[in-house]
Amino acid sequence: MLSSKPNNDRVLKIFSAIRCLNRDQLPRYLDGRLTDVEKHLVEQHLTDCDLCYDALQALEKEENPENYQDLTNKLQRYVHNSIQPVSHVQKVAQYTRKEKNKEHMLTYFWVIAFIGLGIGGIYVLRGHMRNQPPVRVMAAGIPARDSARSEAVVTAPVVMPDNSHPEPAVLPASHKEVPTAAKPIAAATTPKPDSIAIKKAAALKALQRKAEADSIRKHTLLQKQQDSLKKVAADKAREKEEEKKPDPKPEVKAAPKEDKPAPPPETPRKEAPATAVNSDEYLYKAAMVYQQQGNLSEAIDRYKRIESVSSGKYVEMARYQLAICYRSKGQMGKARRMFKEVVRMDGSMKNAAQQALDSM
Amino acid sequence: MQQQLTNLSDKELISRARKQNDREAEGVLMDRYSHLLVAVTIPHLKNNANLDPNIVFPSLLQRLSASLKTQTIYKVNEWILHIQKGYLGTPEKNTPFYPSRDGRDLLHIENTVDKAATNIIDRQDLIVRLEQALQRLNAEDNHIITQFYLENKSFADLSAATGLTRERLRSQLKAAKGKLAKLFMNQGYVK
Repeated sequence: MLSSKPNNDRVLKIFSAIRCLNRDQLPRYLDGRLTDVEKHLVEQHLTDCDLCYDALQALEKEENPENYQDLTNKLQRYVHNSIQPVSHVQKVAQYTRKEKNKEHMLTYFWVIAFIGLGIGGIYVLRGHMRNQPPVRVMAAGIPARDSARSEAVVTAPVVMPDNSHPEPAVLPASHKEVPTAAKPIAAATTPKPDSIAIKKAAALKALQRKAEADSIRKHTLLQKQQDSLKKVAADKAREKEEEKKPDPKPEVKAAPKEDKPAPPPETPRKEAPATAVNSDEYLYKAAMVYQQQGNLSEAIDRYKRIESVSSGKYVEMARYQLAICYRSKGQMGKARRMFKEVVRMDGSMKNAAQQALDSM
Repeated sequence: MQQQLTNLSDKELISRARKQNDREAEGVLMDRYSHLLVAVTIPHLKNNANLDPNIVFPSLLQRLSASLKTQTIYKVNEWILHIQKGYLGTPEKNTPFYPSRDGRDLLHIENTVDKAATNIIDRQDLIVRLEQALQRLNAEDNHIITQFYLENKSFADLSAATGLTRERLRSQLKAAKGKLAKLFMNQGYVK
């Protein structure tokens, strides 16, 4: 068994792969200058390898071995020369390609970055442009910023018609003092929750509608008056008013018919002042409507007209509203003057005007 | 780089030349077989005066380089000899190289032997099977193989003993090895 073991291992030798003869093995084998082991390996390989065996046979037949050496050296040099330039060129090409790629990437990056910046800039600019106009409006609206004032502006007109509307129903002269004196104070003193304001606004609207329904004729009359007033100066307007006074009479006769259910029986003498008051009231209401619609300059014109044309409490109220209009327009000096005038008149609006003056 | 590449096997160099388009690996491979190529080509140069070594060798290398990229190469020596013979026999025709079935069998067995070198169980199994195949071989072939491979006799000793020339002896050994390989493979299939 022991002797057969190495024998067994040697069996594998039959099929072990052996490399081809290298450059110095070949002449050494030819000269017989190899060790036994090496020689055996070479011969094992020679049995398999046709290339090596052919080479061996060719060299054995060759007379001058210098030729073989020379050619081999030449070929090896050729191989070396053909590899190295190529590989060098390849490396240089690879390097330049890498650099180019880098440059390309950089240019792409910058182009994209600039485009992004441009788009961002445009976006920001547009946003800025869009936001600027509101800023201006805000700046203009700063005087009206005070919530108390704006409320006063809104609520005061709301309150006034409340006072004034029932008056045609009841006796106008006697009834003036009590509610107007009380209500503006209430309007000024009591803080108004939204619901109340809304209710009042609704009531006002209802009143306006009623007024429109009640007296379309009177409205047309008013409009006529306004148109004519626009054309002519204030003095002429007075004359025209006087001229027209006879005109409205038949119309006014119709109007009381409509109003008849509400007021108690009135004497024919009282009709004239009542109609005057009524026209004042409607002028006032129309101005109020303009004011509520935000058409302040028109409203101011109307109030001025009322101030110059009519008399009594409507002058005071018109002045008060004028002051409010001026205030909401931002003309504080005029507003203050108007409020002072109202205070000087010492009427029902005195307290409200004083309060407004104080708060200014 | 050159130093590292010279230590690599033929297979490795070929795969490098193919996959990475590595000209250096290709050059190392050519360099490794250049002396054999020269030795094999010398008789042709001698016989045919028209052949100029300055033209023959570069064009041979070009052809080798071209076929390296496309052909299946089991053994570089066989491939080089085929290309060389093809070039010198019919220079205008580029005959592709196909390794023979016997060659592939031999390569397969060589690979299994190579693998078994590190695995004792595999090696024992392989030894048993090889000995079985060897027993089946006819007496003459069995004798010559045993003498040459197991007794470490040289060509000179064997030719002296048998009276055959070296060439005859070599071809007989080659044939016997081929038969053994076939027997071994068939044994593997039978098993």
